[in-house]
Parts: sequence; structure tokens; C-alpha cells
Amino acid sequence: MSPKPRIALFQCQWCLFSQSDQEWVDTQLPENIHLTKTPCTGRINPLYILNAVQGGADGVMICGCLPEQCHFKTGNMGARRQLEEFNDFLDYTGYDKARIRFVWLDLQDRGIIQKQLASFEQELEVLGPASNLVTRVKVAEGGPDA
Amino acid sequence: MREPAMNLILEKQSLPELLQSWRESYDVFLPQKLERFSHFMPLQDDTAVLLNEPHNTRVPPKALFLPMTETLVKFTRFGGYQDADHEVQPRVVFAIRPCDAQAVQLLDTSFVQEDYTDPLWKEKREKTVTVGLGCHEPCLTGFCTTVGGGPFNKAGLDVLLTDIGDSYLVEVLTDKGNWLFPSLQNADDSAIETGHKIQQEAFDRMEVAFETEHLKEKLEQNFSSPYWDTVSQSCLGCGVCTFLCPTCFCFDIVDETQRRERVRNWDSCMFRTYSLEASGHNPRPSRVERTRQRLSHKFVYWIDQVNQIGCTGCGRCVRYCPVGLDIRAMLRQAQTLPFEVSHAA
Amino acid sequence: MPDIDTIKTEAKRLLQEGVVEVVVAFKAGDTPMHPQPAFFSSPDEIDQLVYSGLCQNNLASFLTRLPKEKKIGMVVRGCENRSVDALIVEKQKSRENLYLIGVPCEGIIDWRKIVEMVGEAVLAVEENAHLVTVETQNGRFALERSILLHDSCSRCAHPNPMSADILIGEALPEGDPSLARTALEEFEALSSEERYAWFQKEAERCIRCYACREACPMCFCEECFVDHIEPRWTESGATPAGMQGWHIVRAFHQTGRCTSCGACERACPMDIKMTYLTEKLNHDMRKKYNFEAGLDVQTQPPFATVTLDDKNRFVVS
Repeated sequence: MSPKPRIALFQCQWCLFSQSDQEWVDTQLPENIHLTKTPCTGRINPLYILNAVQGGADGVMICGCLPEQCHFKTGNMGARRQLEEFNDFLDYTGYDKARIRFVWLDLQDRGIIQKQLASFEQELEVLGPASNLVTRVKVAEGGPDA
Repeated sequence: MREPAMNLILEKQSLPELLQSWRESYDVFLPQKLERFSHFMPLQDDTAVLLNEPHNTRVPPKALFLPMTETLVKFTRFGGYQDADHEVQPRVVFAIRPCDAQAVQLLDTSFVQEDYTDPLWKEKREKTVTVGLGCHEPCLTGFCTTVGGGPFNKAGLDVLLTDIGDSYLVEVLTDKGNWLFPSLQNADDSAIETGHKIQQEAFDRMEVAFETEHLKEKLEQNFSSPYWDTVSQSCLGCGVCTFLCPTCFCFDIVDETQRRERVRNWDSCMFRTYSLEASGHNPRPSRVERTRQRLSHKFVYWIDQVNQIGCTGCGRCVRYCPVGLDIRAMLRQAQTLPFEVSHAA
Repeated sequence: MPDIDTIKTEAKRLLQEGVVEVVVAFKAGDTPMHPQPAFFSSPDEIDQLVYSGLCQNNLASFLTRLPKEKKIGMVVRGCENRSVDALIVEKQKSRENLYLIGVPCEGIIDWRKIVEMVGEAVLAVEENAHLVTVETQNGRFALERSILLHDSCSRCAHPNPMSADILIGEALPEGDPSLARTALEEFEALSSEERYAWFQKEAERCIRCYACREACPMCFCEECFVDHIEPRWTESGATPAGMQGWHIVRAFHQTGRCTSCGACERACPMDIKMTYLTEKLNHDMRKKYNFEAGLDVQTQPPFATVTLDDKNRFVVS
């Protein structure tokens, strides 16, 4: 069996209102998912995403609050404008657009993030491992020791 | 074995075959077309040998000895480290221009010293045979003769080629170069004469771009002159002049933690971060001081240190400066500065 | 071509009457194909002022290097005018300290194309509206001006300065915006592998000299992301990760700021085609937000504003 797609998950620390969901993300994420928690999706510099992509992430998922529910009023909307364009731009240089996914979580949602991650993983399995823009030797593939 | 300083004759049409035959024992680098310019690249089976490019490669061949990025050491997360792979095959650098070869030799004074030797540089130098191609049509932006070189200068070369029409006059200058031409005929007197005539004509065509007499004293004594403000005014502060310079050798050692490698990269005195100190103080805060550093290094400090001008007049900084700054004009202007003759012994 | 004497008279007047302290324009360079940016602070120096199709820099890049309060006069073409306005939007300059002498631009001549056609031994270049006459060591060549234009100029949509204080010469007809779009769409039609191969090929020539950054009027950050040591944003060397990272992020930082002047590409010593990256971003800004940088001094760039209307563009899970 081929290894599972590697996913970089960027999560706004406010977007998971359910304690059990947050606990799942914090402690029970599968090994192929790498979590980065940020104070707001607005804090996600496009360079974070580029770093994940260059380092061999097969997909990047960004979770944030719904447009009107940002803890910082408009952080998520600024992020969406920027990161959507960054996604388009990376697609233009060769990194498939479908490999970056935005998920907006409602405060009432329960158990959505698990489903989203599972469906994203499935989609990435179809796409296969990313190779374009992957420029750093992966640790798993003969890069320097982990 | 023949004595060095032999004159041989090489038919142009047999050159591709000869180059290919060297590949048995050497990696062969020669200028090849890359987009709109020429660039030193390894010879492959299907490489077309085009030596009619009148101008020099855009990136100087110093990059073959001091790569833009070179890994020094690989390290692990928990404190271990191992040397990076520095294996270099014996190689031939073919059709290097005299200005660039002279520059490489000049750089030896920095990298190969009695008390300090850079092993990476030294190994590449020792394993490289340089076959120079003289410039029978010297470029207009170059000024090799002004700074003590010439279009057929032999410094730093193992072999010098002179284009004499259908063939090259091959002057073998060192033992290292001797191994490359096992089966060539000796050049007859007329070929040698033609070659020398072409060399002399090319030399004579070069004009003196600026006077070098007392230039050092003038630059030195006018350290705080408004002259530096004038010449640096339109400078953008990019690294084109230094990165494309065959004699600029500054590098920066960086730990690339994600790759777990310690690398050295080209660095440029024209960058703000070059002289920025950890405290936040920058002794060269603006482009004025940085321009002064660049010129003074080549025309003052290098003379102090090894008694040679640190410029070989290749003209790259003149050709590719995005704002058209011309080092020749800057130095001509410097010649008008006041100075006192120093009487120090 | 605009009348050089009229430009000079106006520049001289500005200095004589004390309207400005310095006039930023070009003077003849030391080599025939490279006029140099110049800073004239006394009326006597104005005689050195030149203007030609070979003036390849975007003079607006010098604005942020001069003190903010200094009164500056500047000879501007269409793209330079837009860059100035974009700098005003970004609050890097205030309009009252500037006096813009506008010149309708017929396009910048790419000296590399001249070299490609007639060789490097160029002694002198003369031009008129249609022809560029190049004198070289090997003879005289008359070349058509339109084929020598820099790529970003041959698809320029706004050749006229739009907010200059005075316009010298007749305004030119506006360019065709579809030219830029067609080139872009052709590229977008390629497969992602082909697009990546092209990007890779361009980026791997980079020597990280940052001439593109320094030549760009909109790269005015005090500290560039590549100069950060901690955190290190991208690899510092000439490695694929470093070079690609630099080109992606450099271009992306210009989203909503880039005025398509092409100064980055003209400054590049390695002939890297960089505008194909920024053109994509400019095109997206036009398409998504109907925004073009530098067209006025009020509209904020898309990344600097958000509206609640945006939410309708998002897919809510």
C-alpha cells in the first residue's frame, strides 16, 4: 500500500468550538497530518503554505471561522482573499489547485473537521503524491535524519 | 613528453572530436547557448560547439570554482555532522577568456595562502585544466589592457588558443595542458607569426579606459569626498556588478536548518545585510559607503594586500548594470580628485 | 517622440522657481545603450537631461530612497506615473511634494534585442518614431522600433501618464488590454507539468542578485523577507527551493501593487521572464476585484480591504 498523502493542516485556534473536536485535533491526528495552530487564519502568511508545499506536503488544508464569526472581526476574510489568490498563483506555477483546501467551520459544527480531512485525503489519494514545486528533500526519502 | 610552451596547430573542424575525446578522462566545460546568452555547461554527446560568440559568458567561470551555493557540512538534529560530498572529477574548462582566467589566478591569492587554504577551492583548482581562447575581436566594454591584462594574456591559463582562420594556434603553457593534445602537429613558423600578429593587433585595438597611476592614492585619500555621493547616486544597490564580477569572491555561511546543511552562498558588499551587525548597527549604512567599498576593494585594498589590481577588465559590470553605471567612467572621474604623493617607503 | 527641449525648459523652470528641490530624470550614460537615472538639483545641470526609448528604469523606484518631505520633480511615463500613484496609495509619498512632468511613452527599447540582432559592438543609437538606427563596429543598421520594444511595453495598456501636472507632447492612443490577456491565457492552457517546467527553467537561472527587487518601485520594504535571519522564510542560496521561493513570493508581494512596468525583467542580468508571474496576479486582480494598481490615488488594493460581500464568494461547508 502506498503511504498516505501528507497533509499540512493550518487551524485557526478559535474555529473549533467543540472541545472534543479540538482535543481530537490536538492529540489524535493521524501521523500523515501535520498540525499548525494559528491565532487566526489571518496570521497565515503565504510563505507558511509555500514552505509546506516545498517541503513535500501533498495537500494543505486551512480551517477558519465563518466570514462573520472571526474572533478578530475580519482576519479570516483578509486571509481568504490572500490565500485564495495564492492558491491560484501556485496553480499557475504548477501546484494543482485542488491540493489546497479552505474549510470554514461554523461554531455549531460538531465532527466536521474529521469528515473534511477524510474527504480531502481521499481526493489527494486520487491526485497522487505532489511533485511540482517540491524542492526540498523529504526527510522520509533519504533526507537528513528525522 | 614534449616541453611546455610548445606551439601546436589545431584544425577547427577536428575540434568537436577532440573535445569529445577528452571526456574519457575529464569533465569538459565550455560556453554554450542558454537563452540569449552563453554559459559554461558540461559537454554532452550532442553539444554543438559554437565558439563564434564574440562576447564572454554572462556568469563568470569563477562559478566553477566557487559555486553560487556550496554545501560545506551536513548535520543532524542531535549534534552529529558529516562532511558533504566534495568529490571533483578532473576537468577541462575550455574557451575561458583570458580576463576570467586571470581572475581565477588572482583569486588564488585569497583562497590558497600559506597560513590558510580553502580546501574546496584548492581541490577544484588543482583538478582543472584551463584552455583559454583569446579575444581576436576584443569587446568594447572590456578594458583588460588598462588593468594589466590583455586579450591574449596568459595568466592563469594552461593552454592559450588563438583563432587564425581555419585553425587555432595552440600555445601549451604548462605540463597540465600538455596532456590534452597528444596527436597535434607542431605549428609552422608562419602560423606562429600569424597568431602573434593577431594577438598584437587585438592588444593595440584596446584603448586605455582610465589612467591607473596614483589611482590608489586618490581613492584612499578621498575617503570622505563628495565624489562617492556622486558616483553612487543612481546605484540601485543590487548585486549584479559583484555577482557577475570574476574577481568578487565574498561569501556568506548559512545553516539551512530545514535541509540540515551548512552552505556558503555568494554574498555582495552592495547588500544592506552584508555589513549589518548583530547589534543592528551597520557600518556601511547606505549605497555611498557600499559603492566606496566595492571600488576601494578592487583598486586600493587588493593592491595593499597582494600588490595587484583586483579587476581584470572583463566589462561585465559595465554591460549588465541595470542603471548603466560604468566603472571606467567612475574611475576616470576619480582621476580628477586631489591627492598628495605619499613618501612612505 | 516628445520634444526634449520642452522637457528641459519645464525642468529648469521647476528648479529656478523653487517648485522642487530635485528633478529626477535621465542623463546620457557612459555606454551608448544605457542612459542613467540622474538627480538634477540646479538649473545649470538640466542641459544634461536626456529622454529616449533606451531609458529602461522605472524612476519611481528612486522616490522611496529620497527623504519623504523632499520636493521632487520627475519625468514620468505611463507606467512610472502609475507607480507613483500606487506609492501614494501605499502612503510612501504624498502628492503635494511631487511635481510630475508627464511624457506619453512609445515603449521602452530592449537593448538586449538590439544586441541579439546586431551584436555587442554598438557605438551609437539614434531613434525616431518608427526606426532605430544602430551604429556598430560592423556597420549601420536600421531596425524597426516596434520589434525592439520590451515585451511588457509591447503589451502596455496605458502609455500616457494619467495624473501628471503637465503633459509634454500629444497623448497617445490607449493600448489594447487583450494583448496581455492572450499571452496569459495561452500559458494557462498548458498542463500543470508544462507550466511547472517553464517556471523551473526560468527560476533556475536566478543568481539571487535581487536586481529585480531593487529596480521595482513597489519593493519598498525596509527589510525584505529574504533578508530575515530569524525566522528564515526561504532558503538563502541558489537552490531550487530558494530560487523558486524567491520568485513566487516576490511576485506575490506585488499583488495589487504591480503596475506592469517590467522594470524587474529589464534589470535582470539573467534574462528571467518575470512579468509572466506578475501579469497573472494583475490579471486576477482585474478579474476578481476590477482593480488595477496606480489608476487613481484613492482605491485601496484588494488585499488591504475586505467587505462582507466577499462572503458570497466563499463556499461555506
